[in-house]
Amino acid sequence: MHIEEHLEHTEPPKDMKKQIWKTFWILFALTVVDIAVYFQLMEYHSGYKNALFIILGVVKAYFIVGIFMHMKFEKKWLPYLIIVPMIFVMYLITLMVIEGNYTSFLR
Amino acid sequence: MSETTTLTNVKTGTWGGGKSPFSISYGKLMMWIFLLSDAFTFSSLLVAYGFIRHSYASNLVTPWPSPDHVFNHFPFLHGVHLPLMFVSLMTFILIFSSVTMVLAVEAGHRMAKKEVGMYMFLTILGGIGFLSCQAWEWTQFITGTHEGRMLADGSIFHGANLQMNQYGPTPFGDLFFIVTGFHGFHVLSGVVINIIIYLNVLGGTYEKRGHYEMVEKVGLYWHFVDLVWVFVFTFYYLI
Repeated sequence: MHIEEHLEHTEPPKDMKKQIWKTFWILFALTVVDIAVYFQLMEYHSGYKNALFIILGVVKAYFIVGIFMHMKFEKKWLPYLIIVPMIFVMYLITLMVIEGNYTSFLR
Repeated sequence: MSETTTLTNVKTGTWGGGKSPFSISYGKLMMWIFLLSDAFTFSSLLVAYGFIRHSYASNLVTPWPSPDHVFNHFPFLHGVHLPLMFVSLMTFILIFSSVTMVLAVEAGHRMAKKEVGMYMFLTILGGIGFLSCQAWEWTQFITGTHEGRMLADGSIFHGANLQMNQYGPTPFGDLFFIVTGFHGFHVLSGVVINIIIYLNVLGGTYEKRGHYEMVEKVGLYWHFVDLVWVFVFTFYYLI
């Protein structure tokens, strides 16, 4: 059986170059927000601040994986293949952080 | 009874065989799978980091140090308290090298050999710049500050090694070395692979082959390294 040589790609948008620079400025701005929040709330320690940093990190990851790594333009199975396992990993990290807090009472 | 045979319908669904359900080439799919497994390795380090750091949450004898009191140096500005500034610079260097990489991939689609070469060169420069910054950061961390930490016997300990460090509990130093070291090693291997691909681009290997897919594959790896740094930056320096 002849296997198709030419795989049909979902074509990237025509103005890819423009989109790359747009993504760069988004990533730049998000990092600047990170730094600004860090300096503004240096003495303020709270879970909300940490949650904000993590959300900003995930948003940055979305743009890096989606645009730079081209995942946004691939067939839906590839995102499933990569993202579904990572959701479980994020769950594991959350569980172990909670477990670490309990361990601290035993030290 | 008629003599004509009717063919049973050939399965044509996504998973029916005969074509890639992912619609990408073998090499790129395998690069994605490798990156997934590499993400697991980094996640295991992150799990260890989260667990150990939080297990010091109510430890008042050797509390987990606040990053702004450890990573507050900048080259040529000795003694000035500048938390986060140097790692922010490193972050921007890496993001920018990611952009030049994706521009090389884009030029590859247009078969523009000269542009691919130029952007690959800039990416390599960014990688080397990042590694140099990290070398400086490590030197600063290992040498330590003038104050150091007073030990029980009255002597003063400066800097850090794998057994102890002046900043806080031993795992703080160990995790710094393993997390940033493992990431730095990825950057180093990324730079080496980029140089190989760059030489191939100059030599016209991909021009002859008719496509620049190797640049895309190495690009995937390079963006992954950038992605990991986003989380190292978040978990090690911001929080």
